[in-house]
Amino acid sequence: MIAVLALLAGVLLGLWLDPTVPAALQPYLPIAVVAALDAVFGGVRAKLDRIFDDKQFVVSFISNVLVAALIVYLGDQLGVGGQLSTGVVVVLGVRIFGNVAAIRRHLFRA
Amino acid sequence: MSDDPGQGRRVGRGFTPDFLTELFSNPLDPGYADAAARRAKTGQPARSGWSVGPVGLVVIVLLGFLFAVAYRQTVAEEPGRAQARSGLVAQIKQRQGETDALSARADELREEVNRQREAALGGSRAARLRELEASTGLGRVHGDGVVVELADGPGGQGSLNGGDVGPAQVIYLDLQSVANDLWGAGAEAIAINGQRLTSTSTIRSAGKAILVDFRPVTGPYEVAAIGPRGMRKRYESSYSALTMRKVAKVNGLSFAVRDADDLTLPAAPEPRLRYAEAAVSPSVSPSGGGESSGSGTSPSPSGGGR
Repeated sequence: MIAVLALLAGVLLGLWLDPTVPAALQPYLPIAVVAALDAVFGGVRAKLDRIFDDKQFVVSFISNVLVAALIVYLGDQLGVGGQLSTGVVVVLGVRIFGNVAAIRRHLFRA
Repeated sequence: MSDDPGQGRRVGRGFTPDFLTELFSNPLDPGYADAAARRAKTGQPARSGWSVGPVGLVVIVLLGFLFAVAYRQTVAEEPGRAQARSGLVAQIKQRQGETDALSARADELREEVNRQREAALGGSRAARLRELEASTGLGRVHGDGVVVELADGPGGQGSLNGGDVGPAQVIYLDLQSVANDLWGAGAEAIAINGQRLTSTSTIRSAGKAILVDFRPVTGPYEVAAIGPRGMRKRYESSYSALTMRKVAKVNGLSFAVRDADDLTLPAAPEPRLRYAEAAVSPSVSPSGGGESSGSGTSPSPSGGGR
């Protein structure tokens, strides 16, 4: 419950502060969101599996975002453009799908 | 899978040979299972509920913050994109208008240049220059001549009757042979659908379109030629006229030759020089004045549509 409240607080904070993203960081934003979504759904599923772990959640979130940003940066530098980030989106997307399916099974038993 | 995820993963952690299969069948981060197993080993009770420490809370707030920022960013970019598009459209329209204005001005200036040149050259030289321009296609000409009309046949079922009968369509080769035979019949100036032919003009096909000097022309085609009186008779007996009459009868496209008085053919665009450069002093002195009395108005029949 407190986690949901914290999430809401973060959303409200973001809407209220309305920070401008520097142009250099803009390409990383969508990938960071996907990585964060993966961490969130992974955490929710782990909680439903009763194996949620605080430290694991924090580490997975931070490392996901950093690795995703690194891959996007690397793709930019290598000149392959968006192709490497496509890989990130595919892998994280598959994980999100799997975790959401598991959550659904937990919640609806179906 | 959801009963006890990652139970077998404790044994050989790391990537299994088939990484993708593993990814699909067990999407949860194996770290959670590891942590749970560690706790079970040390005897800690499995934590239930959202027992989040301060660091976890900060991260969750950060998550919400990130989502909100991304949302704001996406929403903020939308009008920018639409704006860029409408800006580009406006730019295209503006540039088109500019091009029209510039080409009108170019025409004006060309007239002006012609007038000035005639004033400067005076009399016979100006007349000779005009004559040369007319015969090379760089000047507007008018006079009597013939008009050859070609048009595609009705309907596109040419492919249905099969056999040796081609489609009822005018192809670029027809225009080429008509133009060549008109030159051969003594034409001094030819234009296809208002496009003047010069010695460097091309008649080609690009897909289904016919290009004259790289500009598309569409049917019905009108090949206008200015030439001597007997040109029509001579053309009627030429190879292309006979061929086209036969083709028209068999395939159903239309072909007609008629005399036309007072034709006006436009000037061709100035040829773009790619390799030749203008000399420093453009003084082309025609040696002797006897030249202009010669056959000044006979264009080379080898020019035109090749």
